[in-house]
Amino acid sequence: MSMRRQTSPLWNLRQKCGGSCTSDDELPEVKIITQPINGLHYIRSRLRPPRSKKSIYYSTDWDKSALVSNFQKRGWLQVPSFNGEWNFYWACTQNCRYIFGIDHPYRMRSDQVINHFPNSIELSRKDLLIKNIKRYRKDLERRGDPLAQCHPPDTKLGIGGTRYKHLDIIPMTFVLPSDYQMFVEVFHRNPASTWIVKPCSKSQGVGIYLVNKLSKLKKFAYDARTFYPQINRDTCVISKYIDNPLLIGGKKFDLRLFVLVTTFNPLKAYLYKEGFCRFCTEKYDETEIDNVFMHLTNVSIQKTNQEYNSIHGGKWPLQNLWLYLDSLRGEGVSELLWSRITTTIRHSLDAVAPVMANDRHCFEVYGYDIIIDNNLKPWLIEINTSPSMHSTTTNDRILKSRLIDNVLDVVVPPNRLPDEHWDKTPSPELLKNFTVLRPISPSKPQMQAPVRRKIRVSKKKKSKCAAASPGGSSSNPPPAEGESSIKRSNRAGKR
Amino acid sequence: MEELQDASIHHMTAKVIAAIKNTKSYEPIYKELQKLVCNPGVDTHDMRNTLEDAIKSAGLETEIRNIVFNLVRTRLSRTDDKNLANKQGAKPTVSDPLGYLKRAGVLWDRRVRKSLNAMCTELKVPLHGQPRISADREDFMAKWNELSNYNMDLANYRPVYAPKDLLEVLLSLKGPAKTTENTDQIPQWEFSHIALPVKNLFELRAHYADLLRSDSYLGVPDLTIQCQRILEGRHAPMCQQFLKKGCTPAPYRGALWASVLDSKLHDYDIEYWQKLRNAVWTTDHIVDKLVFKDIQLTASNDDQYFVFEDVLYQVLLCFSRDTDIGGCVEYEAFPVKGKTYEGPPSGVVPFHGICMFAAPFCYLYDSPVNLYYTFRAFYIRYCHRLTTINTHPQGIVSLCLLFEKLLQTYEPQLWSHFRELQIQPLRVVFKWLMRAFSGHLPPDQLLVLWDLILGFDSLEILPLFAIIILSFRKESIMQVASLDSIEAILADLSSIKVLPLVQLALSRD
Repeated sequence: MSMRRQTSPLWNLRQKCGGSCTSDDELPEVKIITQPINGLHYIRSRLRPPRSKKSIYYSTDWDKSALVSNFQKRGWLQVPSFNGEWNFYWACTQNCRYIFGIDHPYRMRSDQVINHFPNSIELSRKDLLIKNIKRYRKDLERRGDPLAQCHPPDTKLGIGGTRYKHLDIIPMTFVLPSDYQMFVEVFHRNPASTWIVKPCSKSQGVGIYLVNKLSKLKKFAYDARTFYPQINRDTCVISKYIDNPLLIGGKKFDLRLFVLVTTFNPLKAYLYKEGFCRFCTEKYDETEIDNVFMHLTNVSIQKTNQEYNSIHGGKWPLQNLWLYLDSLRGEGVSELLWSRITTTIRHSLDAVAPVMANDRHCFEVYGYDIIIDNNLKPWLIEINTSPSMHSTTTNDRILKSRLIDNVLDVVVPPNRLPDEHWDKTPSPELLKNFTVLRPISPSKPQMQAPVRRKIRVSKKKKSKCAAASPGGSSSNPPPAEGESSIKRSNRAGKR
Repeated sequence: MEELQDASIHHMTAKVIAAIKNTKSYEPIYKELQKLVCNPGVDTHDMRNTLEDAIKSAGLETEIRNIVFNLVRTRLSRTDDKNLANKQGAKPTVSDPLGYLKRAGVLWDRRVRKSLNAMCTELKVPLHGQPRISADREDFMAKWNELSNYNMDLANYRPVYAPKDLLEVLLSLKGPAKTTENTDQIPQWEFSHIALPVKNLFELRAHYADLLRSDSYLGVPDLTIQCQRILEGRHAPMCQQFLKKGCTPAPYRGALWASVLDSKLHDYDIEYWQKLRNAVWTTDHIVDKLVFKDIQLTASNDDQYFVFEDVLYQVLLCFSRDTDIGGCVEYEAFPVKGKTYEGPPSGVVPFHGICMFAAPFCYLYDSPVNLYYTFRAFYIRYCHRLTTINTHPQGIVSLCLLFEKLLQTYEPQLWSHFRELQIQPLRVVFKWLMRAFSGHLPPDQLLVLWDLILGFDSLEILPLFAIIILSFRKESIMQVASLDSIEAILADLSSIKVLPLVQLALSRD
């Protein structure tokens, strides 16, 4: 028995979105205005007795083997998504937004789980992410939190553009056209610098270009002169370009990491230990800024180069990066880098946690793009809410399949239907390849070399830093996520 | 008895001294010694003791010890064999049971070179190479650091041979016919008729005893501290001993391998490298094309090593011009009638997949020079034996025989399963053995395996490891009935951990 409302004017829109989506990463945004969940008026609620049989129904908007094979492995049965019969829905962001939207005819049952948070554009739209991170920094600074420590005022500004010791996780960024004047001032202070312009809401490297002259930004100069620059599709962000990336084989690369978040309040996030490096097809040359093949690592761009090799796809397993760094750069280097990466990711999630609508039906898998510079400092480039599950190579397919397998183990309590009342604490053995992203303790900042894995067990108090090594499995059971520092939970509870 | 011992030590010492005088490092050490003699601490009346002390404190003793260690391992053992062979007379007697094998070895070498020559005549290129035209040379020199962008038309070139060709030759090796035996029971392809001496499991266990011994006594210092101390001591046998554990910390592996293989860089090494590089720049040789083709076919497509393709080009091109290699590599000596063919300057004809021997080294060394010398030493000592037919106890023939014997003895179920399916078990593992698992195991595990090869100075671990993998996947293999399905089962080795499996293989049964 379905609850379809065929006469609904939005049924056509649903049908359009309901087909299988095949593009990488996020689709262009549709203008649906979302409101906070608490203010939603539901047209009617669905009254349904709890299902007596144990089978789980799933729907998916993406027809990828990494997903479907895992669903079928568990004996789940597929149903069409518009019926609303599903227990588990791997949706595209438009459909998810529609389900949370005011026009949706019914709200989700307690045995339904969906793979996006309602307002995750706070993370994926570049201008909103910047806004959230800047606000987070100001909050910490105002409270006098040691995490907001700064370098002395006379130190030269680095690529991050701030003097924060621990919070410079992103390069200096401005939103155009609204911050155009501010940008111009900074630009004049560093005339030899290179900047990268990215449209706020596009993906796959579309519309990205490098500038080192103000003349290339004429149209923003014009827009900035109008009194009310609107946030529209042409809004861009401009960031300081990281022109000293770590090169291997002379080529630039970035890391694609996967992070699972099951709830934002309290923040429970898990970083997957496997990932890959995406290499450019051409050797890096910082003077040639027009050659996208040496600067932009998106697979969709590199694919168009003649040099692209589809057998390996320019993707290098993360394990090889650790082996390479350990062998050539000395001891403990990969552990240090991993702990820096985990801190960066945790900061970004802490930054958006206060504004995220923490619906209990939701979880999300984010694709984090991170670049390492020559000093082994990671920089957050962007966050994708729909990381591509498409596989270009065999190893890719194996990795993504294992990732989804692990995600499903953590998100859906074993041998039970999804349940919104579950406290989302997976048992430790289900975490497998996930590292828990622990809250960052202000007393032990991450930049120092982490505690090395010793053969003998250390009897000292375990530091609360997320210093899990990349190679081994996390042997400590994760502490209850609510056990973070008291300040943090209070702050998170305010909204 | 003691006199005999003394005499043999004296004899050996004389040989070692003679050999040292021939090495390149003799001159600098002699000069150092002369300087030391002028040292105020050295007393002319008590020359021997004070000079020895001075040598020890200057660290020269370790260097000399390392030189002796390496000489004994490499050249002196070989000259012994050669002398022995010469004493037996120039003509091999018919009763030499391995005569046919040596003959096959020589024939194989000849066949490979003949194939190379044929390719040269077909493509109308001189075998010895021709000078590059200057425009080409400029281009080559400019692109030396990014040879993956150097375009060459390679459509007419194909690899001279591939592992499967060698396998076919090996499988068709026939010993002297024994008409008395009933040959129906024994399949034609078994190796057991080859009378090469190979170890059985007990002997292997004795050889690899250090792997099974666990360091569980108290007060064990950290592995990294141990490594650092060993590297400070610079004593090659100690480095080798450390590698036997199989748990080398990654940052020190490069230095340990260089020490064991005696590939520390001296000035003359760097000069020699530049000389090779210039040779590559000025002369165009057919092996260049073969090297390019090989790398494009294998390493560039391998998702563990594609990042390093530029370095691999440099290393392998210089490798192919290095005439020293021909002198160091062992060849079978057996008179066979027929024409002898010339090979490339290095004496090594590149085959399909030769670059995979060099690829794992890219994880250990940054600069091509370091990489080159360590790789070269490794190749001469180990890899070359995998590519030719010879009677060496660690040659590919012996390894295949060892594999078969172990399989037959300890996995009889698998053995009979293969026999029923009429598949030679070697077919399934040969590509692993010939490439020493490079390209099949993930790099971190492969480096552990090669640690063990270096530590125990033996390639016998390869068939042992192959057996334990088969044994681990026995159930799946028993359920399928075709070569393709078996290969599919064995295709993915990414979850294999070398050290525990090898320890398991040695400790059970």
